[in-house]
Amino acid sequence: MPGRVSDPGETSIVPVSPKPLEPVNVPIRHGLTPPISRVAISWSNGNSLRVSFFRQPSSTSNTEEVGGKVVEVKLSDGDGEIDDAKWRRIAYGSATPFALLQNRKNLSQLPMASSQHHRFEWWEHVMEFSRGINSLLGDPLASVDSIIEDPRMVVEKVEKPTNLKAAWELMEIFYADKRSQAWLPERLVDWLTVIDYDILLSGSCETVHSKLLDFQTDLDNIQVVEDSPKYWEVISSALAVGWLEIVVKLLHLHGSYQLDQLGNRETENGLVEAIAVLISKMPRLRPEMLAGKLGECCQTKPDFAKAWERWRAQLTKLDCSAYWVQCDHRQTREGLRHMLQIMLGNANSLNDATCHWIELYVSHLLYIRPFTAGLESMNSLAQKCIDMKPISSPHKLMGLLTGILSESTEVVLGECSRAFGPWMVCHAIELLSAGSNQAEVLLHEEPYNLGGISIEVLQRLAYAQVLSSHELTWQIAPIYLASCMKQGMGLLEILLYKQPVQHKQLLLKNIEICRLYELDSISSNIMKVAGVHHWKHGRKGPGVFWLQQACDEVRLNRISQHLFDFVGKSISDESFKQWDRLIELLGSETRIAGGLEFLHKYRDFKRSLQHVIDAKTPDAARQAVESLILLMKNPSTPQRFWLPLLHDSLKLLNWEERPLLNVSQTTLLLNKLQELSMARLRPDFVESDLPPQALSAVRLALAMNLGRAILEE
Amino acid sequence: MEKSLATLDEGTICSSWNYCGQRLATGSRDGTLAIFDPSNPGSSSSSSSFSRTSKNKVSETSIIKVVWIPPECGDAVACISSDGILSLWEETAEDGQPPQWKLCKRFESRSSNILDAQFAISGSNLKMAAAFSDGHVKIFELFDSLELMNWQLQAELQNVIDSVSKFGNASCVSASISWSQQRGEGQHLSFAVGFNSNVPALNSSKVWEFDPAHQRWLPVAELALAEDEGDHVYGVAWAPNIGRPYEIISVATHKGISIWHLGSAPDLDGRLSVEKAALLNGLEGEVWQMEWDISGMTLATAGGDGTIRLWQSNLNGVWHQQAAFEPTP
Repeated sequence: MPGRVSDPGETSIVPVSPKPLEPVNVPIRHGLTPPISRVAISWSNGNSLRVSFFRQPSSTSNTEEVGGKVVEVKLSDGDGEIDDAKWRRIAYGSATPFALLQNRKNLSQLPMASSQHHRFEWWEHVMEFSRGINSLLGDPLASVDSIIEDPRMVVEKVEKPTNLKAAWELMEIFYADKRSQAWLPERLVDWLTVIDYDILLSGSCETVHSKLLDFQTDLDNIQVVEDSPKYWEVISSALAVGWLEIVVKLLHLHGSYQLDQLGNRETENGLVEAIAVLISKMPRLRPEMLAGKLGECCQTKPDFAKAWERWRAQLTKLDCSAYWVQCDHRQTREGLRHMLQIMLGNANSLNDATCHWIELYVSHLLYIRPFTAGLESMNSLAQKCIDMKPISSPHKLMGLLTGILSESTEVVLGECSRAFGPWMVCHAIELLSAGSNQAEVLLHEEPYNLGGISIEVLQRLAYAQVLSSHELTWQIAPIYLASCMKQGMGLLEILLYKQPVQHKQLLLKNIEICRLYELDSISSNIMKVAGVHHWKHGRKGPGVFWLQQACDEVRLNRISQHLFDFVGKSISDESFKQWDRLIELLGSETRIAGGLEFLHKYRDFKRSLQHVIDAKTPDAARQAVESLILLMKNPSTPQRFWLPLLHDSLKLLNWEERPLLNVSQTTLLLNKLQELSMARLRPDFVESDLPPQALSAVRLALAMNLGRAILEE
Repeated sequence: MEKSLATLDEGTICSSWNYCGQRLATGSRDGTLAIFDPSNPGSSSSSSSFSRTSKNKVSETSIIKVVWIPPECGDAVACISSDGILSLWEETAEDGQPPQWKLCKRFESRSSNILDAQFAISGSNLKMAAAFSDGHVKIFELFDSLELMNWQLQAELQNVIDSVSKFGNASCVSASISWSQQRGEGQHLSFAVGFNSNVPALNSSKVWEFDPAHQRWLPVAELALAEDEGDHVYGVAWAPNIGRPYEIISVATHKGISIWHLGSAPDLDGRLSVEKAALLNGLEGEVWQMEWDISGMTLATAGGDGTIRLWQSNLNGVWHQQAAFEPTP
């Protein structure tokens, strides 16, 4: 089943790519000395594959050698970024938001619920789901800038967010959060700001963030920062990607701020301060500024356009100012003017100040095309930046981002699957289908050549199979399978059938799941398997119990036949106790096991006979006779038991004090005896294990009893 | 990523996992059947390690195949040995006694060998389809659902579409049977079978369906194009169907593995429509085994080159190889 081969290359084997991919070659170690003569394969739970390797026996060595190995290959191992326990937490945590969203989806499709439902926009439900999932993937992403009030601590190393979380947030921005549609570029800038630039690194490529970290280390050794070219380089880079707070902080390290120098470097300091002020007044088109962030927030486009013009005019004015001539410090002058160029959107300056294409992209969005709207233009800009700063092996988040920008649902799915696996695809599909109608159609169509299965369902099944390959997570697989009425339930049935029945806990859990999803036939099948297993392993009680639970009439009838045989063979008092318990257990529900009715009556008869032997009272004897007559009259009493029953009752028939059976009763029994003699002629007659003289003994006793009864009457 | 589960005895040549992957049965050259159970039976973990719990000599010759019977009928395996005898062994226990493996039934024929046998549950009946070296397929039915001793021959058929032609002296090297995994009551019992024999007409895989009205088995489809009809069949595997409108059956021949779509509605002659959806290439040597996963969407194969391959259809319905596992010491 679609799953994921973890290593190497992390290529998914989920069939989401429209084009056939090159097969992944994975070595599988068996630890045997070659040659291997044969291999055998078998699917285990979910998508684990078990492989048996059989070694060719060596003719030379006489010593006992290992003949083969069996190994298990999990096709859905994680990629190492997130450990197994964390994955399980994510798996368990995401099941509830998923189920809730499906519930709401089902409710919204009910005609009655629609009016009430529309109080909420659908995307708000999706956002709630998305936030629920996001919270599982780690703490809120921390920004890269400093939170410590150390003036010389420019940038702090923070704990890396996982790629998975960054990817989820990206999906949320573009597909789920409808509010962000109007200011996508700013959302993207924010996203890039908070995800650690380190994680965008592929190979040894330098980034703005890495430059800042390097500079941070050097800072302690630098006496006069403004003399260092690196200082100005780092400031420009940080400015280009919009890390305004860092830039301002860095500017404040400028020597002209020092009290002893302020007098001499007044103009210089004025220019530095002017730039810092302009930076902190940069207009931003967004609903709100995050706390501690610099810039002026404009909520509407017209407001922003006005503010933007004003700000640009101030920049231009400063650029043309005469003060530059009066600034003696060359590095400061050049550095500041370079910063002005960046803010004025000089493409070359931006290109120089950035390393990675994504940084260049952000700088363009910030300074050249702040009005960019719509994915199409964002995509063409991204392509341009990729061309300018090409990268040999793009990071997986970049693949996802370009897929999103290119508005190709297939590519996004492919990237999600390839880079982040079945969990991501299964859940991200909820965001994708909320994001666009075109995606929704693609995800829900049921092409015939795929067996009428939609991509959405396919991915849920794939994920459910991953879940079911681990004993700690298989129990949440039903939630995902039940969300696909057609194929999911089919898979659920197979999954439940394949759970072992020996462990009571697991069996009960299984039955509970069957009950929850109304899978009665599977449930009775599971109980049947359990019943047969126990019965055949000498645990007759649990065997009968589970077969009864399964209403397995055929097998229960067979079991009562077994008991008949047992009863027919041995009616000694010792063995009586053994099967007495079993009959008790079989219960009195004759509906499901017709033959059992007889066993109950037979047991009652045996008990009263025992009582006669113990007590020797006429009352007990009469009661036993009643039981005997009832048994002999009953059509469910098998014929082969007639003679053993009568033989057992010889004591009653030969009761000394007086005849216990009246004439009609005796006649009935004689008739039965006659019938039995006739039946003996038939080929299928089963002879009882009684001594040969049993029949004549019974006949004699009956004849005597008849005689005595006639006399008495 | 691989995890070792069990170490097998010398001379082991075949193995088979039971329905829940908790027991492994292996057969060896000297006719020994070994059973492996979880080393730590207390835990419900499905992937702990396994160790041998019993060992029985079940045949004078080498065991070539071990098949578990469905769990509804207990813990039992059918062992097919190289002398063509199938013996049915079952694990049972008396009150308080440790379980033991006992021979329940031997199937043998004086004139031909059993090459393959597979089991299916229909209602509460257990059926066994066995392919013989003379090109016949026999369907046996278990009499008593609690005892594996008493079997009745229900049908005998030759693997040809046209029931008139009979082949007297066919000689088959191997055969492969695969039952459809029924879901729901209304579905008819069916299986696919193909041979590797000297009679071309017998070879190609045919789908047989039970006609309950007339209590007989009918060939309803042939899984071979005209030009491939005589090809030796190495294996057939019927994919589980969790909701497709058609069935999928894979057939392995020397040309590769073909994926067949089998329609569900019969035409006037009672035949089901078939379509060859793909021919999977890139395999070297004979295909030993094909196993569908539980969703019927991924096919795992093992073959003469020792490589285990996974095959899937992409979103356009194009089948391709997804992964290859190369055994390394």
